[in-house]
Amino acid sequence: MIHLVDIVLSLVLLSILLSFGSNRLAVLIKVIGFQGVVVSSVPLFMGHDLSAFGIAFSLATLLIRGMIIPLCIYLAIKKVAIRQEVEPIYGHHASMLAWLGLIVASAFIGGKFNLPAINNHALLMPTAIALLTGGMFLLMGHRNAIAMVLGYIMMENGIYLVGTTFSTSTRHIVEFGILLDVLAGVMIMAVILQNIKQQFDDVDTSLLRTLKE
Amino acid sequence: MVEIVFLIPFLTGVVAFFLPRRPGRLLLVLTGAVHLILSLILWAGWLEPVFPAYFAVTPEGLLSLIVISLLFFLISIYTTAYLKKSDIRSENIFTGSMLLFLSTMTMVTLSDHIMVMWIAIEATTLASAPLIFTHRSAASLEATWKYVLVCSVGIALALLGSVLITFAMDIGGVDVPVSFSALTTAARQLDPLWLKAGFVFILVGYGTKMGLAPMHTWLPDAHGEAPSPASALLSGVLLNCAYLGIFKTHKIMIAAGLESFSGTILMVFGLMSILAAATFILKQTEYKRLLAYSSIENMGIIAFGTGVGGLGAYGAMLCLIHHSLIKSSLFLTSGNILLGFGSRLIEDTGSLVRRMPRTFIAFFCGFVGISGLPPFGIFIGELLIIMGAFRNGHYVGAGIFIFSMCVIFAGFANHALKISFEGYRTTVRMEESASMVWPQYVLLLTSLLLCFWIPDIFSRAITQAITASGGVF
Repeated sequence: MIHLVDIVLSLVLLSILLSFGSNRLAVLIKVIGFQGVVVSSVPLFMGHDLSAFGIAFSLATLLIRGMIIPLCIYLAIKKVAIRQEVEPIYGHHASMLAWLGLIVASAFIGGKFNLPAINNHALLMPTAIALLTGGMFLLMGHRNAIAMVLGYIMMENGIYLVGTTFSTSTRHIVEFGILLDVLAGVMIMAVILQNIKQQFDDVDTSLLRTLKE
Repeated sequence: MVEIVFLIPFLTGVVAFFLPRRPGRLLLVLTGAVHLILSLILWAGWLEPVFPAYFAVTPEGLLSLIVISLLFFLISIYTTAYLKKSDIRSENIFTGSMLLFLSTMTMVTLSDHIMVMWIAIEATTLASAPLIFTHRSAASLEATWKYVLVCSVGIALALLGSVLITFAMDIGGVDVPVSFSALTTAARQLDPLWLKAGFVFILVGYGTKMGLAPMHTWLPDAHGEAPSPASALLSGVLLNCAYLGIFKTHKIMIAAGLESFSGTILMVFGLMSILAAATFILKQTEYKRLLAYSSIENMGIIAFGTGVGGLGAYGAMLCLIHHSLIKSSLFLTSGNILLGFGSRLIEDTGSLVRRMPRTFIAFFCGFVGISGLPPFGIFIGELLIIMGAFRNGHYVGAGIFIFSMCVIFAGFANHALKISFEGYRTTVRMEESASMVWPQYVLLLTSLLLCFWIPDIFSRAITQAITASGGVF
């Protein structure tokens, strides 16, 4: 049975392709926001916990992951008027190829998971793994500090998706705590980004090389 | 109400952001004192957690908490004197972040829920980031960026590891709270495959924060660039907090009968860290980075000892406590040296014995202690680890361990002697304020005292913390 969850998750998989293929930061930020919206609404679609409390938490998560975090990065860019283009170290073609490999590997590994809670959702684990590794790929493949932060957020989205299977009574409060940490982390990174821009007039991390050994 | 111990520094930290210089400094010391008193009350067992699902007072947590509390109190006294002499622009941010940092570290020691532990450890990263950026130079910016990014990504992996442990619960059909204590009790029913995967991710994640090689790259930069009191806190207690996360997971592994798996990994990471530190200590040019690499070495020693188990685990606990005391005293002393010589390079220093004799005593005793010479406690700790390693048949590991200790001692001694005695002609005596030397003396004396007289309650806490790893003798 093709579930609604799987349809939106397949869109997330495509969005990873978009993030690998695009060289515009604005597109990357929108992709991150879209992924944030989808991963935080997955628990609602799965019908895990449809109490008023659970829905409120999911909506708050959606607001933070889908809107506030991307907006935070967007404003940081806007304020310092950084070049809008980014280029991965290894070029776009290699990136696309890597995406294909990533999807195949994630689907293979994701299929090995045999968890009772998610057996109805064939795409949940593959998407989570693809987000995690895709985020790491983005993080390591760029010298641009903003793209690195975006990679970190993508990783976090993946971990959140893995965590949706985690269903205990204390889930919401703890998840919300995690989310607040991530939010604060992104805000601090945005502040550092602004400072890097002021100091070096660019956000290329290859400029940060005084402390090498 | 156990939670009050971290709520008070949190509140005062928020207040400190809005205070001018003098009241801010006063608040720092006052909070340190109140925190120390509260920790002692906690030790006496008069407080109970309000949220037992998330927080608990465990022997290893209590041990770390007392060390944190004592260190913070002494460091706060040093900080007031240090702040008067250095020109830190936004002092309110510095004091506020110090207090928030204390609050988050306290939360780490008290958290029992796996995810709350993660939240607290990630919060320590966030609270300490402004401390590293205090000097606002290009180098400190780079150090902060590296620290926040490397640690956040590392700790994200620990979160994944924590989630994998909940998988191990789901598959094993275990329905207990997701807390370390409950999981240790029910460890046998957890699915071993997922538990192993979870442990590896948690070790890599928290290991990043603890400074285990090869994930240590942020550590020398952050410790080198932060103001000395902040470096003392980072090295003395933050690393312990990350270790606590690994130790507690290791305890679950032991209870599940998987100690040979987790122990071997811990030993390998430990030896790698010691070897990495040995390589970089030999050719080091800055004294604060030298101390940072020595922290990596000591974290390696602790990880190795924990992995060895038994006698080694006891030694690791001793090393953990004494490293905190001695290393934070050394970092405070490095602040004096920096103020005295105005340079972080070893070649710009020299003749400390004539120039700043009181600082010299603290520096040299600290050097003796951190090198693992008697009469300080690291000596006993390392000896026990080596004995434990031989007893359990890890001859190669013990060999590498002893060899690296010798290399590190040679490298460290070379630098320490240069700083202390070289350039005997430049002998202008500098003024040294009392509150910038006696906190170090107290720290070193505490370490000395703990070698000869371990309070009963203290040793009971240590043995309780490690009985899980197969008893002591």
